[in-house]
Amino acid sequence: MEPQSHNPRQDTASKLSDTLRWAFELDQSPALAGATWLTREIIPDAKDPFDAILAAGTSLDALRELKNAYKMLRTTGVTAAERSLAARLYAATIAAAAVRHKTAISTQNAAALKRAYTELAEDDSMPEALRDIASLALTSQPPEPR
Amino acid sequence: MSSHRNSSMTQTNWDLIRDAAGSTPTSQASLEEVARRSWPAIYAFIRASGRSPDDATELTQGFICDVFLSRHLLEKADQSRGRFRTLVMGSVRNYLADMHRRKTATTRRPKHGSIGRLDDLAERTSEPAGIPALTPEAAFNSRYVASIIRATTERLQRTLLEQGDEAGWEIFRLRVLQPSLEGTAASYDEIAPRFGLGKGACAAKLLLVKRRFAAMLMEELRATVDDPADLHSEVADLLALLSR
Repeated sequence: MEPQSHNPRQDTASKLSDTLRWAFELDQSPALAGATWLTREIIPDAKDPFDAILAAGTSLDALRELKNAYKMLRTTGVTAAERSLAARLYAATIAAAAVRHKTAISTQNAAALKRAYTELAEDDSMPEALRDIASLALTSQPPEPR
Repeated sequence: MSSHRNSSMTQTNWDLIRDAAGSTPTSQASLEEVARRSWPAIYAFIRASGRSPDDATELTQGFICDVFLSRHLLEKADQSRGRFRTLVMGSVRNYLADMHRRKTATTRRPKHGSIGRLDDLAERTSEPAGIPALTPEAAFNSRYVASIIRATTERLQRTLLEQGDEAGWEIFRLRVLQPSLEGTAASYDEIAPRFGLGKGACAAKLLLVKRRFAAMLMEELRATVDDPADLHSEVADLLALLSR
């Protein structure tokens, strides 16, 4: 294979385009855009937050980092819709760690967790698989913290 | 950075040019601001038109003094307000044709004040590789967008540091600016411990800073269009121009 020729014009234009494009998209973004961007910073090949949380291959460490990211977005999101979504994703990461890894990654008390799982399980705007994992967490034994 | 520079961030380019062409106490500061914003793109257009670096510097200075300050641009702006970018590019093209006809080479000076700052600006204007190989229009647009991004970045840095958010600035610098300049981003594993953060919290902090940058960038671009409703089509046009 022949080496690709270096084109400084394309490099510069491409970098400028990228910066301008993401700034424009962030300026226009719906609630999911921020959470998706955050998710890909932690799991680069994730399609979206739901995909990352539900994937069987997502490690406990990755779930913990996702949880911390969504936890911050829960309070710093720019719209109520974004903060609400982040709260659901936050609960979902804790539920996924509990169900798939049998590990508690949150220090929240049992009552608060039960409330968060219940709200997620009953939220019909969330994907069904995410709601299912919250339902499973509600019925499973409380995991050991690790 | 002067206080005028800070206050001018909310001014449109039209306001600045009017002030620069006038005789108000802030005219000199406005001239310097207009020159700072416009110089790289104008220089790039002229350089890509086949002029030597020295000639391009001289002609850029001449354009700013002759056209911005003689109110030629203002007259056009008042006749047909719209996008600052297209008006300036068209004016530079006409100016070069006019200069070619007249073959004048005298150094131009603004009617009020020193041009020491303009000379400084010219000296500080580094020429990116590849400008002479571009069309004048591509060179202009590329440097125009780069200037706006640079001004926004400087404003972001100033704002974050004034607010004591050194971590926010450093994370942005290492994850966003460094890759665009050097091609490689520092990993979260390297960055996060420096600020006592986990990877997830570090990413969430970066999202906040990127959003501030995006808002500031849109504000800068908004100042270049007369009608705020034109902002989206201006951004779309710039993206299309840069992808050619």
